[in-house]
Amino acid sequence: MSNSTKLDIQNLNAWFCEKHALKNVNVKIPDKEVVAVIGPSGCGKSTFVRCINRMHELIPGAKASGKALLDGVDVYGGMDVMDVRRKIGMVFQKPNPFPNMSVADNVVAGLKLVGTHSKKELAEIAEERLKSVGLWEEIKDELKKSGASLSGGQQQRLCIARALAMNPEVILMDEPTSALDPASTAKLEELVKKLKNEISVVIITHNVSQAARISDMTAFFYLGELVEFDETRNIFEHPKNPLTERYITGRFG
Amino acid sequence: MDILSRRGRERLIKYICLLLTVLAVVPLLWIIGEVVYNGVSAINLEFLTALPAPFGESGGGIGNAILGTLIINAMASLFGIPVGILTGMYLSEYDRTSRLGSAVRTVIESLSGVPSIIFGIFAYSLIVLTVRHYTAIAAAFALGLMMIPLIAKATEESMKIVSNDIREAAIALGVPKWVRTTKIVFSIAKGGILTGCLLAFARISGETAPLLFTSLFSFYWPIGIDQPMASLQVLIYNYAMSGFQNWVIKAWGASLLLVIIVVSINVIVRRFAKPKYKAGV
Ligand SMILES: Nc1ncnc2c1ncn2[C@@H]1O[C@H](COP(=O)(O)OP(=O)(O)O)[C@@H](O)[C@H]1O
Ligand SMILES: [Mg+2]
Repeated sequence: MSNSTKLDIQNLNAWFCEKHALKNVNVKIPDKEVVAVIGPSGCGKSTFVRCINRMHELIPGAKASGKALLDGVDVYGGMDVMDVRRKIGMVFQKPNPFPNMSVADNVVAGLKLVGTHSKKELAEIAEERLKSVGLWEEIKDELKKSGASLSGGQQQRLCIARALAMNPEVILMDEPTSALDPASTAKLEELVKKLKNEISVVIITHNVSQAARISDMTAFFYLGELVEFDETRNIFEHPKNPLTERYITGRFG
Repeated sequence: MDILSRRGRERLIKYICLLLTVLAVVPLLWIIGEVVYNGVSAINLEFLTALPAPFGESGGGIGNAILGTLIINAMASLFGIPVGILTGMYLSEYDRTSRLGSAVRTVIESLSGVPSIIFGIFAYSLIVLTVRHYTAIAAAFALGLMMIPLIAKATEESMKIVSNDIREAAIALGVPKWVRTTKIVFSIAKGGILTGCLLAFARISGETAPLLFTSLFSFYWPIGIDQPMASLQVLIYNYAMSGFQNWVIKAWGASLLLVIIVVSINVIVRRFAKPKYKAGV
């Protein structure tokens, strides 16, 4: 697989006050592929993705250095931070729909709160995005209900639809299935595989077999360092680093 | 050896709570009952619309005091509600931990413990002494100041309990902070903030001391907000202690009316502000 690079991360370092949480990470995220990020908890996976959309710097005392080039433009310099976050969407571990908005308003929340779209456009976008996450058939009669009234799996897909409504080029997911039941997890995995037709996906998972099932490339982090980054097949069949092998065979963390 | 089974203990605690609740509710109902019983006979059209009758004469009403209380409370709310909400928003969303934030929080908390008469004296020396006459503006200022700490605290607490996950969701969508604060966090916290505003309104509706120093009283219809103005609170205070039967009955009627005003504003505001969704923060 030799897709072009969507996101080129160079010498990325991150700190929480004095704690060096991410150490000189270099990685090229390919366009329209799924990249899985794995590693024991506390190794810096969340910090890594939160540096990409510049959410890391919001934590008091946190800072980051290095570059993250989105199509050659550094998110840490060449772009307005709000634009960065619109172009690089994010989905969190715990589904977090806005409880004060209807299902339909949740999908278009990002556009509605700042944008200039007409009501009709917003309704069309909401329908389109609910369709692309496979929620439309399930909830098309409940569009007026609160976003918080759906099941956990539906909420998480709603959050993905909400991120997609901004037309992002990359979507970051931080353990999106860890709060879901197996059936919802399976649906979400199918969705992730489908998403790469449109955009790049970076997905953190603590579930090694999930990484093997859904990703094209896998990045293994350990103690803040990127130990190995390769095609998922290579990582799982011929890991180059003994740490990687120990982790994927479940012998630690 | 257990004298009481676990079930028995649970039931005992339940009944103790029930008993204490009854103890708390009974005096409250008693007060309301007394006010209704004594006040209801005073209320008629003349009572609601006419000016007070001179001392010693029968008849007359309290129309000017009703209007005065509504005007003073409205002006106080116009000042106290926005300032209180913005202060609470600032404390919750903009300066939760800094030195300045903590200083503001301390001031707010101390203010809510200051006796109402102090607010009256403050408005008196600041405004009444300056313009050299009693004025409803000073009353609204004093009552508005009293509302601020109550509303700021309610706003801060209601916004603080909105989960950070919700803020992060908005940040990740590239929504600017002020939009996130007003259209998401504030909107989710609305119920609690509204309760705070209504409590503050009820509180100032019962305050007499600050009004004695500021708007005082008038036996005529309000002619301007920069003039002395009648209010139900001061009227009740004067009439109840007059020893004159016609006035004492009117004081009861005015008390009943004050309760009715506070309760109906509560009901009306809640009806109009009913949340579209149960906000599961
Ligand atoms: N808000 C924070 N303040 C201080 N240290 C943090 C904070 N969040 C994470 N860390 C530390 O940074 C390291 C990396 O954390 P994280 O990126 O969340 O790991 P992961 O997502 O892989 O479990 C951990 O050692 C963690 O203790
Ligand atoms: Mg994490």
